Amino acid sequence: MSRGDGNSGFPVRPAVGYAPGGAMSDDLPLRRTYLQHVVHDTLVPVASRLGLAWVVCLAFFAVTAPFIANSHPILMQEAGRWSSPMLKSLEPADIVLPVAAIAAAVLLVRRKLSAGQGLGMVAWVSAVTYAATAWPSAPQYYATLRGARLELMSAWAAWTLLRFVGAMVVMMIVLLPIFVLPRRATMVAGACLAPLVVLTLVFPVRPPELVVYERYRQKEGSGQITFVLRAMVPYSANDRLRDQPELRLTPPRRGHPLGTEPNGADVLSRMIHASRIALSIGFIATGIAVVVGVIVGGLMGYFVGTVDLLGMRLIEIFQAIPRLVLLVAITASYGRSLYLMMAVIGMLSWTGDARFIRAEFLKLRKEDFVQAAVAAGLPLRSILFRHMLPNGIAPVLVSASFGVASAILLESTLSFLGLGLVDEPSWGQMLNQAREGSGFNWWIALFPGAAIFLTVFAYNLVGESLRDALDPKLLKRE
Amino acid sequence: MAQPLLEIRDLTVGFDTDRGWIVPVRNVSFCIYPGQTAALVGESGCGKSVTALSILRLIAEPPGRILSGQVLMEGRDLLALPETQMRSVRGKDIAMIFQEPMTSLNPVFTIGDQIMEAILLHQHVTAREARDIAERSLYDVGIADPGRRLNEYPHQMSGGMRQRVMIAMALSCKPKLLIADEPTTALDVTIQAQILELLRKLQRQANMAMLLITHDLGVVAENADVVGVMYASRIVEYATVEDLFDRPAHPYTEGLFRSVPKLGNLAERLATIPGTVPNPAHFPSGCKFHPRCHRMEGDAKCGQIEPSLREVAGSHWAACHHVPNHASSPETSPRLDHRREVVAMATEDLGADVLPSAKEYRP
Repeated sequence: MSRGDGNSGFPVRPAVGYAPGGAMSDDLPLRRTYLQHVVHDTLVPVASRLGLAWVVCLAFFAVTAPFIANSHPILMQEAGRWSSPMLKSLEPADIVLPVAAIAAAVLLVRRKLSAGQGLGMVAWVSAVTYAATAWPSAPQYYATLRGARLELMSAWAAWTLLRFVGAMVVMMIVLLPIFVLPRRATMVAGACLAPLVVLTLVFPVRPPELVVYERYRQKEGSGQITFVLRAMVPYSANDRLRDQPELRLTPPRRGHPLGTEPNGADVLSRMIHASRIALSIGFIATGIAVVVGVIVGGLMGYFVGTVDLLGMRLIEIFQAIPRLVLLVAITASYGRSLYLMMAVIGMLSWTGDARFIRAEFLKLRKEDFVQAAVAAGLPLRSILFRHMLPNGIAPVLVSASFGVASAILLESTLSFLGLGLVDEPSWGQMLNQAREGSGFNWWIALFPGAAIFLTVFAYNLVGESLRDALDPKLLKRE
Repeated sequence: MAQPLLEIRDLTVGFDTDRGWIVPVRNVSFCIYPGQTAALVGESGCGKSVTALSILRLIAEPPGRILSGQVLMEGRDLLALPETQMRSVRGKDIAMIFQEPMTSLNPVFTIGDQIMEAILLHQHVTAREARDIAERSLYDVGIADPGRRLNEYPHQMSGGMRQRVMIAMALSCKPKLLIADEPTTALDVTIQAQILELLRKLQRQANMAMLLITHDLGVVAENADVVGVMYASRIVEYATVEDLFDRPAHPYTEGLFRSVPKLGNLAERLATIPGTVPNPAHFPSGCKFHPRCHRMEGDAKCGQIEPSLREVAGSHWAACHHVPNHASSPETSPRLDHRREVVAMATEDLGADVLPSAKEYRP
């Protein structure tokens, strides 16, 4: 028996590059994991690419909404003084979203960090940006608190405490990645963020004030403003065009390509701003559902027996709750809040995910590598979430992509019923306005309706092809 | 006599199934001494794997349950430990490698991640040190270019390589006992020999004890110091490897040896043991081997009374009424602090060129 190579007859692969174009060009790259393989297969069909393109497009609008559609001019000269009312009007979320999006895009292109590290990085960048932007408005929030009669402490003590806690939180967020990430990544991220933090500290972002949108148009008309650069859609979502009452409820026309609403706001601008709610409610509600479903389903599938029995009954109870009725009841009694809506939708739709994860875990717990992990003395947390979950998460990804679509639909339904948000624009609420006034306002029905349809359709396309990618027992590479 | 490293006393394991209780392991007792290789041999379903899994308490509960017995690791009863303490025994004091290398590694993590996780858990080291230890242990099991292999996924490796990785992972925390549950069954013959040799060499280097579960008498002959033969949930014979191969006492062991082909023996057909392995759900009464036994010859006792495991000769235990002086022998629990001497020399030579010497390597 020759035992010279100690390599058990395994061909030694070249150390550098599995060069494309060679004999291996048809093969999968060797470093591709199961998940990467699935993502690759998902993106092969044209339909799912189109779906994803629409979602990316939507995400772009959601992230850049205040820059695209805003009544505040980007840049203007008034009596010789230059100013940028738009920048001044930005809220913390308006800054956090683009920064996080840019960070995510950079990480996607560079691919230096693993998926977990990348997500952590984006989360950290967003947190720092948020802390930096929201921090200066803390006194304002404090004032609101006081207005709400929460005078437990003297104003001075509370203010000091608030500042202290805030500073601690900011410090912790800033220092966090030093312990988690490779040093270089930390340095690069720090270098990118430091100027931003300084900028926001020097030019604090103010909390929203009562704004009079028409003043820019009036000043421009009277010649007080000598130079003005406006956003692409020069109307904010809540700009009711008080100076132009004759433009209420007009069909598409010059200046308002998608027409206006019964109370005067520009439909296009509202639709752009509404994409933010559509996306966030879909993602956050589904995120809550996935987290709860994975935990409950994972425990059920791993422990079986009594835990499984109780979990199954819990699932049945939750499945028996009519979602829309509960949502209506809750908005009716607790007021209209986007976060409440997300939480309720999430807490009502985890049952499917839990069933999927349970089924996967029932299968996985018998797998040799799980036994091996137990035999290595790994803690339960690691066995469940590090070793079993990545092998069983795939079906949940499919159901999540459908879940996003159904959450968007649910929010639209609620808004259409008039139980959505009050001031924030939402597609469903706009649909409702289509039947206000004397007749049927086709433009308010058509465009938001099309947006809802396309978004739900896009998620379903992506979900379908994700399901196909997972379907034919793909672990054939073994 | 030295203290045993692991002592199993009267272990009985049952499974609660739809057809009632099945007891695949009954009153099993034996000892493993430091540095010793004990082998459990038997057919599929005789309870040897369940015994091994019970030592680490890896039996799924429910449906399984350890009905009685003790597993004493250096005097500590593992069956009575709380789960948190048991976790620090698993992987650290007792490591285990499994039969199926193709599925024993998590497909979504790199080899390095998986080895390092166990190291970080059981040893107080930094991530960088853990990586060095992992790289070193890959090198120790004869994997070329360990630094690069650490970053690879299991599907990029062959079966033999994966079993080496499993061994590296098991040994990276320097366990006192390694349980090898049919470590070579899924591998082809040449790789089998390499893996067993590797295990022998590493075992000698670390003076680690090993419990070898197998159905392959060749593997036993080459590796074990002491052997327990299991049949239908019980140990029916226990002896040193030399004793067992020279003077098998139990008719089942005899039958096993007769059914192994021998080189130079021109036989038309191999001898077989008549009948089949009994179903654990309904074992025969009395001696569980009696329906297939050639010694019985109408002895009613075999069908009624189950023979206990007795020390029928010096350091030789057997459970059969027809072994001479079985009835007069003492009923003791088997313990043999014995090391083989014969094959050690040969493996020294073979091992030398399979594995680079441990000292020269710097990660």
